Amino acid sequence: MSVLRVLVIIPAHDEQESLPRTLDELRAVVPGADLLVVDDGSRDATAGVARARGVQVLRHVFNLGVGAALQTGFRWAVEHSYDVGVQFDADGQHDPAYLEVLLEPVRAGRCDVSIGSRYVQRSGYRAPAARRIGMMLFSALVGAVLRVRITDTTSGFRAYARRVMEVCQHDFPRDFPDAPLLITLGRRGFRMEEVPVRMRERRAGRSFYTLGTSLYYPYKNLLASLMALLQRPAQP
Amino acid sequence: MVFLSRTQIIAAIGAVLLVLYVLDLVRRRKLSEEYSLLWVISTVVVALLGFSTPLLVWVSRQLGIVQENSTVFAFGLAFSVALLLHLSVRLSRLGQENQALARELALLRQKLEELCPGRTPAVAPADAPAADRT
Repeated sequence: MSVLRVLVIIPAHDEQESLPRTLDELRAVVPGADLLVVDDGSRDATAGVARARGVQVLRHVFNLGVGAALQTGFRWAVEHSYDVGVQFDADGQHDPAYLEVLLEPVRAGRCDVSIGSRYVQRSGYRAPAARRIGMMLFSALVGAVLRVRITDTTSGFRAYARRVMEVCQHDFPRDFPDAPLLITLGRRGFRMEEVPVRMRERRAGRSFYTLGTSLYYPYKNLLASLMALLQRPAQP
Repeated sequence: MVFLSRTQIIAAIGAVLLVLYVLDLVRRRKLSEEYSLLWVISTVVVALLGFSTPLLVWVSRQLGIVQENSTVFAFGLAFSVALLLHLSVRLSRLGQENQALARELALLRQKLEELCPGRTPAVAPADAPAADRT
């Protein structure tokens, strides 16, 4: 098995409370991986906290959205010739212990995008009812279109192979990189696989998904999914 | 000149004033020529309809509109919709360009820090409230 250069990309917006522990934990569990924090226009000490730990930091001058932050990370990863980019939450929801599990299918060449899912096995996570229905809907949509079973389309714990990052650095959803992204990637011929992971409660800070977005989210994602189907897929 | 109603006169005069104001904005470089085009076309058409009663009557008959006044307002409304849509499209593009700039700035800053550490000026936090979607 060749040694892949792995970059853990951590989009962070006002995460000074939880970021230190997240970084420390990553360092302890996966010392081999490089870490990149993309500070998405935070108004707290997020960037400083990350720099103090010797982590690479990219800083948006204003808030652009979690997808935009990831896209910036992809740009950096491609420029610095990383083989795999891992999307990782700053708020402590993701457990670095599962990083290896997540990387394994990409490393083995079985897929281009590996998605850490809360639902593949019973992993002790129960979302609110409305959200569960929405997730089932988008999961069914992605499944119907791509003939691939993705139960957790909203999972923010993913590994992207370099060829995926090369495409995504130019074209990526700005706010929610969920179902429409998976459809776009699938139609571009990228293979996806879901691996079971356990997720934890967020430690501090606000979720990317707030009340205001709970109305906008289904609209935007349904429309964008439809558009992803209609748009002519570019060749990878 | 025969006017069919007072509203026709108001619309016509209003359109002329607006076209003059738009041109003045262009003169003072507050409005770019590119964006003035739709405004000038729309206001000139409304002014023509308002001032030329035969034209107004003819257009109304062609469109099956009984009240000539409605024709003036229908055109005004149609142009408003076109303008708003045009602006939304431009705004979306501007947002994309804005995002690309912010990204390039982030990457360049990081590179600069790498090249001469500790010598880069701090990025001022954006004054504008952050978009709430993140």
